[in-house]
Amino acid sequence: MINVHAGLPEFEYVKPGTMAEASRFLVDHVGEARLFTGGTDTFVRMRDGFWKEKYLVDVKHLQGMRTIRFDPEKGLTLGAAVNMNEVIASAEVNAHYPLLAEAAQTVASYQLRNRATIAGNICNASPAGDTLGACLVYNASLYVHGVDGLRDELLRTFFCGPGKTVLHVGDIVTELNFPIPPQGARGKYIKLGRNVISDLAIVGITVLGFPDADVPSGFRYRIALASVAPTPLVVEAAGGLLEEKAASAETIEAAAQLVMEACSPIDDVRGSARYRKLMVRNLTRRALTQVASDLAASGEAH
Amino acid sequence: MANKEAQREKIPNPIGVSVPRIDAREKVTGAAIYADDIQYGPGLLYARIKRSPHPHALIKSIDCSKAKALPGVKAVVTGDDFPGYIGLYLQDRYIFCRDRVRYVGDPVAGVAAISEEIAEQAVELINVEYEVLEPVLNPEFGAGPDAAIIHPKLGEYVVANFIFPEPGSNISNHFRIRKGDVEGAWKDCAAIVEKRYQIPHVQHVPIEPHIAVAKVDENGKVTLWGSSQSPFAQRNLIASALGKSQSDVEVIAPFVGGGFGSKAGVSMESLAVAIATRVKGRPVKLRLTREEEFYTAFVRQGLIAYFKMGCDKDGRLLAMENRFYWDGGAYTEYSVNITRAAGYSSSGPYDVPNVKADSYCVYTNHPVTGPMRGFGMPEMHSGLEQCIDDLAHEIGIDPVQFRLLNCVRTGDTIVTGMKMHPTGLSECIEKVAKAIQWGEKAPPSAPNKRRGKGIAIMWKAPAMPPNAGSSAWVEMNEDGTATVGVGGQELGQGTFTVMAQMAAGALGIPYEDVRVARPVDTDYSPYEWQTVASRLTWSMGNAVVNAAKDARRQILEMVAQSWDENPDDLDIVNGVVISYKSEEAVPLKNLVIYGLPKPNDQGWIGGPVVGRGKFMPTYVTGLDPQTGQGPRAVVHYTTGAEAVELEVDIETGKVEVIRGVAAFDVGKAINPDMVKAQVEGGFVQGLSTAFFESLILKDGVLQNPSFVDYRIATSADAPKDIQAIIVEVAQDDGPYGARGVGEHPLVPTIPAIGNAIYDAIGVRVGAPPFSAEKVYLAMVDAGIIA
Repeated sequence: MINVHAGLPEFEYVKPGTMAEASRFLVDHVGEARLFTGGTDTFVRMRDGFWKEKYLVDVKHLQGMRTIRFDPEKGLTLGAAVNMNEVIASAEVNAHYPLLAEAAQTVASYQLRNRATIAGNICNASPAGDTLGACLVYNASLYVHGVDGLRDELLRTFFCGPGKTVLHVGDIVTELNFPIPPQGARGKYIKLGRNVISDLAIVGITVLGFPDADVPSGFRYRIALASVAPTPLVVEAAGGLLEEKAASAETIEAAAQLVMEACSPIDDVRGSARYRKLMVRNLTRRALTQVASDLAASGEAH
Repeated sequence: MANKEAQREKIPNPIGVSVPRIDAREKVTGAAIYADDIQYGPGLLYARIKRSPHPHALIKSIDCSKAKALPGVKAVVTGDDFPGYIGLYLQDRYIFCRDRVRYVGDPVAGVAAISEEIAEQAVELINVEYEVLEPVLNPEFGAGPDAAIIHPKLGEYVVANFIFPEPGSNISNHFRIRKGDVEGAWKDCAAIVEKRYQIPHVQHVPIEPHIAVAKVDENGKVTLWGSSQSPFAQRNLIASALGKSQSDVEVIAPFVGGGFGSKAGVSMESLAVAIATRVKGRPVKLRLTREEEFYTAFVRQGLIAYFKMGCDKDGRLLAMENRFYWDGGAYTEYSVNITRAAGYSSSGPYDVPNVKADSYCVYTNHPVTGPMRGFGMPEMHSGLEQCIDDLAHEIGIDPVQFRLLNCVRTGDTIVTGMKMHPTGLSECIEKVAKAIQWGEKAPPSAPNKRRGKGIAIMWKAPAMPPNAGSSAWVEMNEDGTATVGVGGQELGQGTFTVMAQMAAGALGIPYEDVRVARPVDTDYSPYEWQTVASRLTWSMGNAVVNAAKDARRQILEMVAQSWDENPDDLDIVNGVVISYKSEEAVPLKNLVIYGLPKPNDQGWIGGPVVGRGKFMPTYVTGLDPQTGQGPRAVVHYTTGAEAVELEVDIETGKVEVIRGVAAFDVGKAINPDMVKAQVEGGFVQGLSTAFFESLILKDGVLQNPSFVDYRIATSADAPKDIQAIIVEVAQDDGPYGARGVGEHPLVPTIPAIGNAIYDAIGVRVGAPPFSAEKVYLAMVDAGIIA
């Protein structure tokens, strides 16, 4: 009802010395402790009274958490505490994963991007997360420090529902890993918000296209959607069509139709399901047209 | 006489010069002091408020015992402690609810504690039992006989003599216009348009939420520090509600971080004062969270409006019949006068021989409505100006030509029977039409875009009691500088700068040599009714000019006596008294405090110079309650026009305003750059209400009480090109001919945009905000796109 909370509730700030210590603390304080990196969602939810944890466990300072590393063989590693402005400013990201920078640029405002992290965006598991689509189409995986050891989680199977992921108590995402993107890839993120800047997505469309001589059309496409399902949605069906047929206006239209049919948005204060579905169609068409045109242009340039 | 004087009077420097703002440096550097910046000492207590979760309910019992027992709690109060009513035009509010709650957020109890956290805990320990009642959620239904009665004691409330409540109903004001013969006129009309429009509630969203700090000393003297547009009105209303003398209430008002009307009158300040009466000697701070601001601070009324208008075959307006149902919310102590203003301006800025209008202020169980920049005019013009466009299209006349044909002109008998004063409305229309290249259609920037242009015009009078007064003093300092005392408030609109310019001009000293005394403090500052109604440049400006002239007269008489000359031969130029006759000269320095020596050390003449001035309109008359007719309804109207060019993206429904053009007749621009800044700010606020803003209310409960889902325009949403055109047709009783323009620029923005969208896609989108979704689905439903 009426939020009368003027400030944050009391909590204890915990700064563990090692990942193992952090993980153990989380296990020892189930339901009372929460990991914290940027805090852009955490503090808001604590003030709103939705999150009532007694301890905030800060892991930003631990080794590797703030690393941006590109390896021409293995790809990109982003420490989980790298903030979005650092991603946007990274020469490696812009050279090899420009779609990631493009998507991060649409998140909130510059000030918030100084705190917000892509790993936080992912672990928050909001279907509206702007950077999740780019991570999905780049086939990102998460490096997780759990009580039982270290493991990789594929992002494609990471989300279970709004705010829900496969992470267990004590799990700490320490890195995001992106494989080397397909040669000649071109991408586009289209976010439809109410305002020009700083809004949450009514819908978000991520498209990555790249040449592949093994498919009839010569190109493959990956498409991910924000804000139109309980989790970020990867739509495979349209990709299949575009592998079969060259990306003419008709094919793109048909693909956009398939994408629209694949999503299941709801009505909320930001938009109706009806509008969202129509926008998924129109903006997928727009994004595909743009990417197909960029791919064609880059093909001619070779 | 005033007119002749204005004509004769030379416009002195720096009137009409865009001097830099007097408060720019401290605001830009962050040095400016706002209410929450002040240190109130170690005795400071913090207040929180227990509020109603129901839109409409009876209070059965309140149990404060647990809250009182909580360590750190110093006082817990309820409505039982404060039986007095409060309100500006209609006293319909208790400070704390006594028997009934009328909106979600209605204050039921208050706590003062040694910390905000303890106060909050105490609030949670207060147990209130309610009997939930059926809420009234629609003003049109609420005005009818089947609605639950929200204020059963409406007939007993104290009310201003120009407000007409209808006891036994939810109608807290019914304003009528009956001019000419509307029924008889329809048959002469070649075209008639009838439309219904709706406008949602919106809020002011000042960057600084409401804050009040109150202290009551052992003698019962109240001191209130707050973010306030209306220190004197607050002094008066709080004193009356608590049964105190006005002289025992001191309101101190530092800089305001945005008001837009929400900090006019009294709202949450009375809560802080009431609580402070129970903890004598200790200041009590109450500051609203942004969510509380959304739930409980004033909101702009929602409106359901019916317009019927007709013209002859040549396009001349013959008749209008308008009905307004204002969603006044739980209390309408202030907003009853908004519905009156909309009633007496209900024809819009048009010359219409036959008008029938009914403007109903209706209680609902929605948030409390109050004044907001435009005071009813943006809501009313939104429908009216789209309807005018439809009528122009219906009769086949270009919308600009239609407006030029029908707009109100000097000497017209306007809707209330008042004779229109000199106005530059036609010039405003012509200038915006020219600037927007009306009639020329540029191609859209992309195949998925549709381009359109739209225009809307407006008028607005200061809405206030007929005798709202201003006063000022101008005190000279040893070095020949002057300090101006005013009771009006700097809200960002630039009034302190304009007052300094007027004092400098009227005295004859440089602008840089004038200071404005602040903070406004009712114990030290001269009386000012309120900082509202775009009235300060005009009304307080007159008082300041009069005070400066009074100081000037004192100085000239002193020097004339010393020089044995006639004061009429003397002048003050650039801080120096000169004689055009003897060519003597003496700087103001020292003489304005110490006077001048008589020859041969034979004593002194003169002494410290303090000029005083006042202004109060004396000519506004009452209106007949049945017809709304009378000789002079208002002091004057500021008029203007806006036009926009925009593009609609037919794949998303998103609208981009490419440019906006606005022209207003300000009488005389005292500071042209600040007039332009007001126009730009008003235009962007209007644009924000056109595209984004709306309080989403479901069963009386606000669904978007934060900026996450209450969107406002940012600079990125504003067009890069906003052109402000200044038209100057002098106001006969305005200082140097000036009249106000603070509110006016947001009045025509919604309909100008609505008309441009129609021009672009051929569809009316319905009620604002014209979100991308509404625009897109309107196109789908009209069959324009699939």
